[in-house]
Amino acid sequence: MFKNHGYKVLLIDGDVENPNTYLLLGGKLKNEVAVPFFRPKIIKEECTKCGICAENCTAHALLYVKDSYPIPMLAVCSGCKLCYKICPVNAIEEDYNVIGWTYKTKINKISLMVGELKPSEARSAAIIESLFEDLDYIIKENPNKYDIIILDTAPGAHCDVELLIKRADIVIPVTEPTKFGMMDLIRIIDLITLLGKKYKVIVNRSSLLGFKEEFLKELENKKIDILGDIPLDNEILASYCQGVPIMDEKSKYSINGAGYIAFQQIFENLLKWMDNL
Amino acid sequence: MERKIVGIISGKGGVGKTSLTASLAHLASKDYNINPIILDCDVDAPNLAIILPAASQDEIQTKDVFTTLKASFLEDKCVHCKQCIDDHFCEFNSLSWDEENEIPIIEYLACEGCGACKVLCSEHAFKIEPVKSGEIISYTSKMEFPLVYGKTKLGSTTSGKLVSDVKQFAKDLKEFSNCNLVLIDGPPGIGCPVIATVSGLDYIITITEPTPSGLHDLIRAIEVIEQFNLPFGIIVNKYDIVSDFRKKFETFIKNTGYDILGKIPFDLSIPEAMSFAKPVVEYAPESKASISIFEIFARLKSILWIN
Repeated sequence: MFKNHGYKVLLIDGDVENPNTYLLLGGKLKNEVAVPFFRPKIIKEECTKCGICAENCTAHALLYVKDSYPIPMLAVCSGCKLCYKICPVNAIEEDYNVIGWTYKTKINKISLMVGELKPSEARSAAIIESLFEDLDYIIKENPNKYDIIILDTAPGAHCDVELLIKRADIVIPVTEPTKFGMMDLIRIIDLITLLGKKYKVIVNRSSLLGFKEEFLKELENKKIDILGDIPLDNEILASYCQGVPIMDEKSKYSINGAGYIAFQQIFENLLKWMDNL
Repeated sequence: MERKIVGIISGKGGVGKTSLTASLAHLASKDYNINPIILDCDVDAPNLAIILPAASQDEIQTKDVFTTLKASFLEDKCVHCKQCIDDHFCEFNSLSWDEENEIPIIEYLACEGCGACKVLCSEHAFKIEPVKSGEIISYTSKMEFPLVYGKTKLGSTTSGKLVSDVKQFAKDLKEFSNCNLVLIDGPPGIGCPVIATVSGLDYIITITEPTPSGLHDLIRAIEVIEQFNLPFGIIVNKYDIVSDFRKKFETFIKNTGYDILGKIPFDLSIPEAMSFAKPVVEYAPESKASISIFEIFARLKSILWIN
């Protein structure tokens, strides 16, 4: 919708465990760049088997038995490089593993940056850091290249989500009017508040009625602002499956449909909110 | 029967992990041959406890967990040499320089507790200490099985470790010796909390839905499972939603030869059961969804203990 209104939009998909935005926009990933991650490489010719590296590794990522070479356990390595820095005989070299990729592409006039974690790798936060490095570079080159940058996060409240929230000016948690939704919403709002950011909530599947009254009352008690509602709507699901956003010109979605009207309203509310920042 | 540890994961969030876990837990507790322990390892957003509440509030036990390490700064030892910044002690960018006071500032949330600053500072002006990373909550549920879940302290950046702690906590319960089924509600995604959840399991259920992102995320979850070489079965939730993509999804699964543990139809009795905070098999045992979950449970039992 920002694009439809003439904004220059950059979408960063920071759900690196499962990046999906390109599927929903009906595009393909391009311009793959590998994300390297430090791993220690032991130079046996230099190593004196002293064990200082292993002794100081808080992640216990170096397995050391007296009088033998330390063995790096890459799965638990935090990448702090302390072993490399403290080895008294410089027997540890910086080596790198690929833990994922970043992509840059343009789909239907929306610039897209996507991070992807390699399955079975755990260091997802490093992929997000890599996206941010690219972003910093872009902004430095041309601060006005984009009017709006949208960051899509992973579900949950772990380090990846935290990194992305930290970077944002305003945050939009999406929830649903169920007990689960309520509980997870409170968690994410606590995190947003801890990081000192402003937020307004979108209530998805707002036509689920069972718990809704209680849910809305709870939001009111906690003085949580609602940015908008999205009702359950088969046409939203259909557009999701086709990879054509319902607000796209190519979508066959009816402009009188409940979902379309809901998105329109959310967009207006968001513009108003952004104007008042 | 031999003890089996089963995890329920999904690449994608919001596809029904917790609803399914609650229903399977309910069925397991009604089965005379099974003594289950139920874990919620979605430590960033645990909510299994809402559907499987404690028999009594007094029984709920909370234990603080201190597995996260964080650096702190000892100002009296600092000689203001700025070496920590100039030599880039911290790989996680959690050290910055306070020009006015000429001391380093530690950004608490960014700190990984690796101890590099502590070891590298010649004046020993940093120390590393364990801080509270979360809680482990345990109780006996209304359905009479022990339930254990973890909840991270926000900003502690250690979800994976807390998952391992929850699993260890369950193994130390007195009920564990007699237990023959550990059922784990896992976190979404494929990152470190998921890897911590699936390690050491006997069987994994991966649940998805027939949408493009559902399929995409399923494939990624399976890649992780296969790295660990663990047996798994797929559950397709809302398998009958009408979409152009459904055929593509079905063909894909068929061609891979992956085991489908079961299919759950789109059925409003599931969100309804959720709004009453009950497992669907308890709330609406006659519903289409419940019948499919009975079948899934029967198949799961035969996979775990007969084959």
